[in-house]
Amino acid sequence: MTTLSLATSPNTLFDRFAKLNWGIITILIALAFIGVLMHFSVSSGAWTDMPLKHGIRFGVLLVVMILSAMFVDTRFWLAIAYPLYAIALLLLVGVEVAGATRMGATRWLELGPISLQPSELMKVGIVLALARYYHQLDPRKTGTVLWVIPPFLMIVAPVALVMHQPDLGTSLMILFAGICVMFLGGLLWRIIAAGAIVAIGGAVFAYFGVLHEYQRQRVDVFLGITQDPLGAGYHVLQSKIAIGSAGLFGRGWMQGTQSQLDFLPEKHTDFIFTMIVEEFGLLGGALVLFLFGALLAFTMQVAYKARSLFGKLAAGGIAATLACYVFINTAMVIGLVPVVGIPLPMISFGGTAMVTLMAGYAIVLSVDLHRDQHGARGWLW
Amino acid sequence: MKKPVTLNKGKRVGSTLPKRDATVIFSRRAALMSFVGAGVLGTILFRMGQLQATNLISQEYTNAADDNRFDTRIIAPPRGIIYDRFGVVLAQTSKDYQVAVVQNDAENLEEVVGRVAQILGLDSEWARRAVIRARGGSRYEPQPLKDGLTWEEFNAINVRLPELRGIVAQSADVRAYPYDVVYGHPIGYVQKPTQRDIDRALEDGAQGESRAMYLRNPHVRVGKAGLEASMETDLHGIPGYRKVIVNARGVEQGEDESERHEPVRGAGLVLTLDHDLQRIAMQNFGEQSGSAVVMDIHTGDLLVMASAPGFDPNLFVNGISQTNFAAYNEDEKKPLYHKTVTGVYAPGSTFKMMVGIAAKQAGVEDNWSVSCNGGFAYGGRVFHCWRAGGHGRVNLHDAIKHSCDVYFYQAALRAGPEKIAAVARAFGLGQHFNVNVPNIRDGLIPDPTWWQENRHEQWTGGLTVNYGIGQGAMGITPLQLAVMAARLGNNGHAVVPRLVREGPNISDPPQAPRMEGIEAEFLARVRDGMHGVCNEPGGTATRAGALDLVRHPETDAAVPAGPETRGWQPIQIAGKTGTAQVRALGANRGRHYSTIEWRYRDNALFCCFGPWHEPRYACAVVVEHGGAGSAVAGPIAREIMRATLMRDPSRRTAATLAQLEANLARNA
Repeated sequence: MTTLSLATSPNTLFDRFAKLNWGIITILIALAFIGVLMHFSVSSGAWTDMPLKHGIRFGVLLVVMILSAMFVDTRFWLAIAYPLYAIALLLLVGVEVAGATRMGATRWLELGPISLQPSELMKVGIVLALARYYHQLDPRKTGTVLWVIPPFLMIVAPVALVMHQPDLGTSLMILFAGICVMFLGGLLWRIIAAGAIVAIGGAVFAYFGVLHEYQRQRVDVFLGITQDPLGAGYHVLQSKIAIGSAGLFGRGWMQGTQSQLDFLPEKHTDFIFTMIVEEFGLLGGALVLFLFGALLAFTMQVAYKARSLFGKLAAGGIAATLACYVFINTAMVIGLVPVVGIPLPMISFGGTAMVTLMAGYAIVLSVDLHRDQHGARGWLW
Repeated sequence: MKKPVTLNKGKRVGSTLPKRDATVIFSRRAALMSFVGAGVLGTILFRMGQLQATNLISQEYTNAADDNRFDTRIIAPPRGIIYDRFGVVLAQTSKDYQVAVVQNDAENLEEVVGRVAQILGLDSEWARRAVIRARGGSRYEPQPLKDGLTWEEFNAINVRLPELRGIVAQSADVRAYPYDVVYGHPIGYVQKPTQRDIDRALEDGAQGESRAMYLRNPHVRVGKAGLEASMETDLHGIPGYRKVIVNARGVEQGEDESERHEPVRGAGLVLTLDHDLQRIAMQNFGEQSGSAVVMDIHTGDLLVMASAPGFDPNLFVNGISQTNFAAYNEDEKKPLYHKTVTGVYAPGSTFKMMVGIAAKQAGVEDNWSVSCNGGFAYGGRVFHCWRAGGHGRVNLHDAIKHSCDVYFYQAALRAGPEKIAAVARAFGLGQHFNVNVPNIRDGLIPDPTWWQENRHEQWTGGLTVNYGIGQGAMGITPLQLAVMAARLGNNGHAVVPRLVREGPNISDPPQAPRMEGIEAEFLARVRDGMHGVCNEPGGTATRAGALDLVRHPETDAAVPAGPETRGWQPIQIAGKTGTAQVRALGANRGRHYSTIEWRYRDNALFCCFGPWHEPRYACAVVVEHGGAGSAVAGPIAREIMRATLMRDPSRRTAATLAQLEANLARNA
């Protein structure tokens, strides 16, 4: 029993393959390639093991992403939106109860040989769930206060759980993605204004009540309340030195003094953008920002073109997630926002962000490929 | 059947609500969000440009990056070499071979250190301690495991390096004293600067900080004793530096060769010492404690400056162990004490020549004689002669020869303490001689004025009587005793001793002037008495005087006497013994001498000059608590003088610094 019209969806395999959004795929490949280049430089010119791992991981995910975009259409995502969210939330509760603690934070669930970060699953889960919620809600109801409460709770529950792990960066991202979907879904401006006031109050409360000492230190240093070049401010100071001294064309690949001599901490993860700028200059940094900008633009275009509200909101939400990654990461390394551990997706080393983002783009590509499907309210309901 | 559901076809619920089109709202808001996003990206790009623009003007980030990666590393300069008068190297900078471990590179620290222990033949206990020591240091810099490796051990490590991950074999400059105990006192040693050195450097406002930084460098050593300390500024040299590239942990990654400044070697020193004689002198002390000096009576060159027992300065260079230091420090023979210039002793009978000369100056006639019956009554008590039976009637010659106390008791009374003190000072006793080593003590020649000022008592005749035999408050150093013998031997020229022949700020000594008021003929009579001491029957030091040397009739050289030298002229010396009380020993003296505790026994002294036919060398020997001067100090002086006369170093061509430094440059 289906309520979707399949008339306009591409039918043959070749058709589907040809009609994939190659613009998005090309940019993803380009970004991953930049990642491989940078990891080669981080390893001081060795293929093992970071550059190779990064490349292989991307290659595998790319194939999975393309296949899933071709074979899984938007209805499937719509169908599993709530179950996925429910599973993610349950796993987060599971983390709270029986999570593994690494480096002072309890973020992982260990299921035999696999260790899982449910908070990452939630990044996609929240977008899909809210997209489905607004997809099925009467547009006139979106304007009422009563109907704001369910999505609000859907956001607050995982955010609170993740913040308690503690993982400020991820919880902020879930919050941001959720709010973006609500905004795109048609939240009234009045409510937005009220929310903003509550948020500011909440931020003040969070600073004094919820934030951990190390997080508060970072905020203090960022706001200039404390000067601490060797403590919390050291990372950003070294990063600014690297970017400021790089020049238009940079010091050259594998020639960055701050990166190669280890003055720049976390250069293979959170501070990799600094390394790009140090070695390839302002122009190199601008190119990376341009690629991300183009990726966001293509993603928004997919959202714009999609027929169903679910498709629009899912693509828009994933674009918001990506923007959140990119903006916070790059703003952090140049000292515009406090240091929160958020990597630069596709480029930073580490599978988590890449899996999350590529899963997101599997959905975006699927939305794009099946854009003419109308959303089905009540399907599998 | 199929019933298309569109989003626009809302259900009819809450019809009072305003109609809203989700697609339109989405498009508007998506456009708004894209706009904001573009703004954020623009802001980030702008901020990056701003950072670079700031740097373009102020260079602040470029400078900060350079501050991070460049570090100036000091190259400690090689220290000046110290030579003996003929160019024998007494102190040098040599390579020390060490094995060290970089923990970060070692996969298994215990295992790799264990392998090193195996190669070097050390036990597992050593390996265990070495691992603990290494763990205490930086993970990224080499931590020394063992230094002072032989070349063979160093090579054995080197060839196995590929299988010893984390182990490094390195060589470093280290100050070395090849003759260890022989020159411990005059040359001293270098050590790592102490916290006090650093604090003292910091007191200098302008240069203090950089100086202190220099002193903190692990390769820097500064002189801490002997000439190494007193000539530190000259010996040290000028440090070099190099600009290195370091990583965040401070580990060197490379060097900017164009910025390298090589260090300048410290100035060399040529000493007046003769290595062969110095060694013989040290050997002749055996287990005994004391000092020997040999001096050229015309130039003042110190050919021997020995202080026994010696200590090994090499032990101090890399920090002396507690056990070794305690062994030195607690030894009652005080091996760390430079007795030649800091040991102050009563001169005893060696002082009698001064009394004789003073009496002459006070107008005592040349043929004056006294009758010695073994004692002299003065001021209600009897002053004994060392010989209980007395010497009978003695004149100056016999009084010196037999060391008759009674004669000099009376001579002292006739001369008066002021005259005696003046003569003693003229001959160098109680005088300061700067021979460039630290901690020189001046000793003391007291007189009534001094007595009044320092003891707050009237000088008494009894003190004068005691003065006659060199006892009482007076104290002299072995160096001063040698100067006295030299000034007697050179017929009253005020020669001044020196230890450094050539070096920065060292000039040749002026011709020694003739001392005023000292009659040459009378001095000859005193010398004649000293000749009697060593060569006439009944003299107190005939054993020391029996050199068994003869003069080669053609070359004039001193050669050992033998059957083939029959008829050749014997070579003789003239001297004077001294046995100075440390404690009044009463009846124990003589019969039960060996039962007395070492530190209460008499000090044995001997001074002499020779050869008699043409004096050139003066020698002084002090043996602490050795007993009788004739029995203990005399034989040591004999051996030293015999060797000196046979070598005759003053008539050989000495090495010059210019020539030695040229050799050094050629070999480098």
